[in-house]
Amino acid sequence: MTSNNFLIQLNNFTYQYPHTANNALKSINLSLKKGSFVGFAGPTGAGKTTLIKSINGIVPHFEGGTFSGEVLLNGKAADTMSTAEIGRSVGTVLDDPEAQIICLDVEQELVFGMENYGVPPAEMEQRMQKALASVGIAHLLGRSTASLSGGQKQRLAIAAALAMLPEVLVLDEPTSELDPLGSEEVFRVLKQLHQEQGMTILVTEQKTDLLARYCDQLVILREGEMVLSGTPREVFQHQDIFELGVALPEVTELARRYYPQAEPPITLDEGVQFCRNVILSFGG
Amino acid sequence: MNPVIKINGLSFGYEFGDSVLKDIYLEISPGEMVALVGQNGAGKTTLVKHLIGLLRPPAGKVSVADLDVANTRISKLSRQVGYVFQNPDHQIFHDTVQAEVAFGLNNLGLPREEVEPRVTAALSDVGLEHLAHENPQRLSRGQRQRVALASVLALRTPVIVLDEPTTGQDYQERKQIMALVEQLNKAGHTIVFITHDMSLVAHYASRVVVLCQGRIILDGDTREVFRQTDKLAESLLLPPQVTVLANQLNEPLNTSVSPVILSVDEMQDYLQRVREVKRNGTGD
Repeated sequence: MTSNNFLIQLNNFTYQYPHTANNALKSINLSLKKGSFVGFAGPTGAGKTTLIKSINGIVPHFEGGTFSGEVLLNGKAADTMSTAEIGRSVGTVLDDPEAQIICLDVEQELVFGMENYGVPPAEMEQRMQKALASVGIAHLLGRSTASLSGGQKQRLAIAAALAMLPEVLVLDEPTSELDPLGSEEVFRVLKQLHQEQGMTILVTEQKTDLLARYCDQLVILREGEMVLSGTPREVFQHQDIFELGVALPEVTELARRYYPQAEPPITLDEGVQFCRNVILSFGG
Repeated sequence: MNPVIKINGLSFGYEFGDSVLKDIYLEISPGEMVALVGQNGAGKTTLVKHLIGLLRPPAGKVSVADLDVANTRISKLSRQVGYVFQNPDHQIFHDTVQAEVAFGLNNLGLPREEVEPRVTAALSDVGLEHLAHENPQRLSRGQRQRVALASVLALRTPVIVLDEPTTGQDYQERKQIMALVEQLNKAGHTIVFITHDMSLVAHYASRVVVLCQGRIILDGDTREVFRQTDKLAESLLLPPQVTVLANQLNEPLNTSVSPVILSVDEMQDYLQRVREVKRNGTGD
């Protein structure tokens, strides 16, 4: 079963929620190696959340419904695994930290998941410290969860997932409730986990500017189908991108008006360089 | 014109907490479209809750349409000002979309023959007429947000306050919602909206109020506010990417004041002007 080295594989995966008329996901093929950092974008209803749920087992275990094809985790079919087993390798962070965080203080929140999995107390302490340090909130250990900022709450949700020592983190629009600074905070932490611990990260996000700067791979979904996949630059360069209901970073949109075929800038610094070149080309 | 919203020396703190609002003075004229921005925790939501009587000022005076909020019944106030909650789940409680939107109208004591067309019109405005008989809990977050919006639109109040109306919405939906809000504004409604999306502010607001730690630190024309990069940085806000781009480019145009660019269109015009200056060797 584990003859390939893909951590996550979706093979022709099609899924339909109960009591609905259409497939939420249609023949998805996606193979991700350990250490991938993948962003998923697309309009609401495109299937981003369903894709995340089919990797952490919520689909089909909790949602029911019907599916064909397969989702493999380390070569093993996810539908044959219990959610508890999937939960050991896949850590989940939801869009609304208020909905995810259930304990009154930071320490309890971290311990909760570990207790459920029967982690020995001596090991808990160590895991807790490491998880908090990984997301830069070790100093918040004694704090009540209600007193945290939005960015801190999301980092706590990430830390709670990390304490379970997952192989992959899946995050569903983790910055949708956050201000620009909090959003940046979350993605900086993800990048650090990716670089320093080789964590595999799958994240859905509306702020394509963040995906452009932080992800290695960007996947665009529409109406349950994977329509584009590649590096952020490749995806933003694609001629169809304007019809897919995805916002481009403003510097990318600007550059594409001048050179629709060329490789566009995707960050502010690249945009400044691009404009300097445009101005140079004016001569004078 | 006599202001429709008058806040005079408002200070407020939640029980057992630090003060959240400090000495707020704010006047908004009928027909204005005002963006209220600031970090999570800056006091934005607390401020607007005073406009609808959800919170009563312990110090200072708040009036809406010449009604003193401190001693006006909510039922009377709610004919003047409608409020769309940040989290639609704090607002929605009926088991069909239609009943949810009709709730406020029934409370106003409107006859059935008036309620129905208003519900239909509001649902059609937010593009949800086909889901009128669905249970809101079966809808996506973005759709629930629009149910909440429709239930406030249906009330047709002179003042509409929207707390992060585009959270959880994709690019196209954001544009649709804001186009609808803009249309309401053009029809004479006074709009106050809270957002973290500076591109939305740049595109739609004519005036921006920046809150930082409970105080108003900037209040003015959108372009003038985005010129104050230092003050914005103090409240950890960044203007839209294209505004920062133009700023960093700092290309002299032989004009005394560098322009504040608010959109990709404006940036393109700006580069065109740079080109003309280069070609003609002179500015203006």
